[in-house]
Amino acid sequence: MNGEAILPYLIIIPLFGAFSMPIVSLAGRKAREAWAVIISGATLALGSALFYYVWESGKIVLYTLGAKSPLGQGVNFPIRIVWEVDTFGALMVLMVTFVSFMAVIYSLGYMKHDTGLDKYYTLIIILELGMLGIAITGDLFNFYVFLEIMSIASYALVAFRNDTWEGIEAGIKYMFVGSIASSLILLGIALLYGQYGTLTMGYLALKLSQNPTVVGKVALALFIAGLLFKSGASPVHMWLADAHPAAPSSISAMLSGLVIKIGGIYALTRILFSIYGTSISTKTVGWVIIVFACITLIVGNAMAVIQTDMKRLLAYSSVGQIGYILLGIGIGLTAYGSQTGEIALAGAIYHTFNHALMKALLFLIAGVVIHQLGTRNLNELSGLAKTMPKTTFAFLIGAAAIIGMPPLNGFASKWLIYESSAIFNPLLGAIAIIGTAFCTAAYVRVLYTFFGRPSEKVMKAKDPEGTMLWPILILTIAIIVMGLFPWQISDKIMIPAVKTLENQLAYVSTLLGGA
Amino acid sequence: MIQFQFITAFLLIVLGIYAFLAKRNLIKLILALDIIDSGIHLLLISLGYRIELNEVPTAPIYTGYETLKSPMVGPLPQALVLTSIVIGVCVLSLAIALTINAYRHYGTLDVRALRRLRG
Repeated sequence: MNGEAILPYLIIIPLFGAFSMPIVSLAGRKAREAWAVIISGATLALGSALFYYVWESGKIVLYTLGAKSPLGQGVNFPIRIVWEVDTFGALMVLMVTFVSFMAVIYSLGYMKHDTGLDKYYTLIIILELGMLGIAITGDLFNFYVFLEIMSIASYALVAFRNDTWEGIEAGIKYMFVGSIASSLILLGIALLYGQYGTLTMGYLALKLSQNPTVVGKVALALFIAGLLFKSGASPVHMWLADAHPAAPSSISAMLSGLVIKIGGIYALTRILFSIYGTSISTKTVGWVIIVFACITLIVGNAMAVIQTDMKRLLAYSSVGQIGYILLGIGIGLTAYGSQTGEIALAGAIYHTFNHALMKALLFLIAGVVIHQLGTRNLNELSGLAKTMPKTTFAFLIGAAAIIGMPPLNGFASKWLIYESSAIFNPLLGAIAIIGTAFCTAAYVRVLYTFFGRPSEKVMKAKDPEGTMLWPILILTIAIIVMGLFPWQISDKIMIPAVKTLENQLAYVSTLLGGA
Repeated sequence: MIQFQFITAFLLIVLGIYAFLAKRNLIKLILALDIIDSGIHLLLISLGYRIELNEVPTAPIYTGYETLKSPMVGPLPQALVLTSIVIGVCVLSLAIALTINAYRHYGTLDVRALRRLRG
C-alpha cells in the first residue's frame, strides 16, 4: 500500500474514534470497549503498514494538506502544512500504535471498576493521536498543536482519578511544568518565524544553513530547554516522579513508554538533526546534551534504588533510561557524520524503542499487583512469586531487559551506547556503566522482594484475568523475540534510520520536489 | 521607528515568569501562565504586522488585492495565534477544574500545601 495514502488515515481514524466514543458509549459498556479496541487496532494496522512501506522503500513520505504540492502558486517556496515521515518517524509511529493498543486492551480489565470510562477511552485515543501527529509532522506549528493535544490529554489522564489527592496533586504539578515548557517551545517557534518567515521544517533547514543567526540559536536554546522539561531530564525531572505513578497504570505505561519519548526525545532529535543540522556548532550543542544526559543517568538510576513505592521506582528508572537515550543523541551530535556518532545515534533510537516495550511491560505488571493486592509498597509485596508466577516471570524478563542482560533486547541497544561512548570518551562510558550498576541494584531489590518469603497478604493474590494478562505476555514475547535478533535489527532498521536522519539534504529536497 | 509592541510583549513574558516564580496561590499561577501566553501571542502578531516604507499594512484579504497599493499583514501569525488561543483556553479550563478539585481535597489554594508527594 502506498505510504502517502495511509498518512491522513493515521490521524483521521483516531480522531473520529475519539470523538465518536461518547455516542458509542450510549450503547453500553460492551460497545464502548469494542469500539476502543477496534479504533486502536485499526491504527496499529495502519501504523505497521506505514512502517513497512517506509522501511522497505527507504523513501521519505511527503503528504501535503489540501493540495498536491507544498509549494505555493507562482512561488518556489512551501506555504502549506506538510507531513513528512522518514524511517525514524515511521519507527516511532509503529512504537506508539503498538504500545497504545496494548494499553487499551489492558484497560478493559484494569479500569473495569472506575466510572467515567467514556471520557477515559476518549482521552487515551486523543493521547495516541497527539503522539502520532508529532511523529509524522513536518511543520513546526503543526508540531506545537499536536504537542499540546498530547500534553492536555496526559494532564487530564494523570488527574483522572480525581477522588484521590494523589492524582490531583500530581496533575497540577505536571500541568504547570508542562505548560511552561510548551510556552518556551512556542516562544522559540515565534522567534524562528520572525527571523525566517517560514515554519516548514525542511525549508527552515535550508534558510538556516544559508544564514545562521543569533535569533536562530536563541530559539534552539528555548527548544532544548522546553523539550528537556518534557522528556524529564534531570534538573527538572521532579514532575515525572510524581505524575507517572499517580496515573492509572495503563496510562503510566503510555506516559513513561511513549509520551516522554515522542514529546521529548523524538522532537529534540528532529529539531536538532533535521532543522539545525550542521548550521550550528554541533560540538557545543552536543556537549550540552551530554552533560544533561550524564546528570540524568546518575540521578535517575540512583534515586530508583532508594524508593519503596514500586511505581515510583519505575518512574525514576525511566528518568535514568532517558539519560542513556540523551547520551546517545549527544554523542551522535558531537561526532556528527563519523561512525561513532552513527552507532551512538542508532543505539539511542534502538533504546527508545526497547525502553517503550520494557517500561510499558513493567508498569502494566505494577498495575496487576495494585489490582490484586491494593498496595504498591515494596515492603508488603514479599513472596509474590509463589502466588503470581506468570506475572513474576514477566517482571523478571522486563527487569533483566532493562538492566541489559545479554539474551534480551535491552542488551543490544545499551551495548551500542556503551561502545560508542567508550570510543568517544572513556569517562562517559564509565558514567554509563555506573548508571547501570544503580539500575541493577534497584531491580534486584524488587526481584529479591518478589522471590522472598511469602507474607500472609500475598497468599490470596492470583494471576490476573485474560484482558490484563495478554498484553503482558505479548510484550514479554516481543522483548524475547527482539532479543534473539539484536544485530539484524540494528543493521536492518536502526542504521538506515540513522542514515536518513543524518541526511538533511534528502529531507529538504523531498519537500522542495526532489530538486 | 521603535516598535513598542515588541517591548510590551517581552515585558508581558517577563512579568508572567516573575509571577510564576514568586506567587504561591494556584489561581495566580494560572494567571501567570496566561500572561506568558499573551506575551507570546502579542509577539507573534507583531511579527506579522511590519511597518515597511512608512506604510500601514492592511488586512490580508486576497479578493481584489491587485488594486491595493499598501502591503498586507502576514496572515500566517494570525492563524497561529487563533489556534494558540484555543489551546490556551483548553489548558486554562483544565487548570481551573483541577484547582477546584485541589481546593476540595486540601481546603486551600496555597501550592505549598501540595507537598504530600515526596521522595
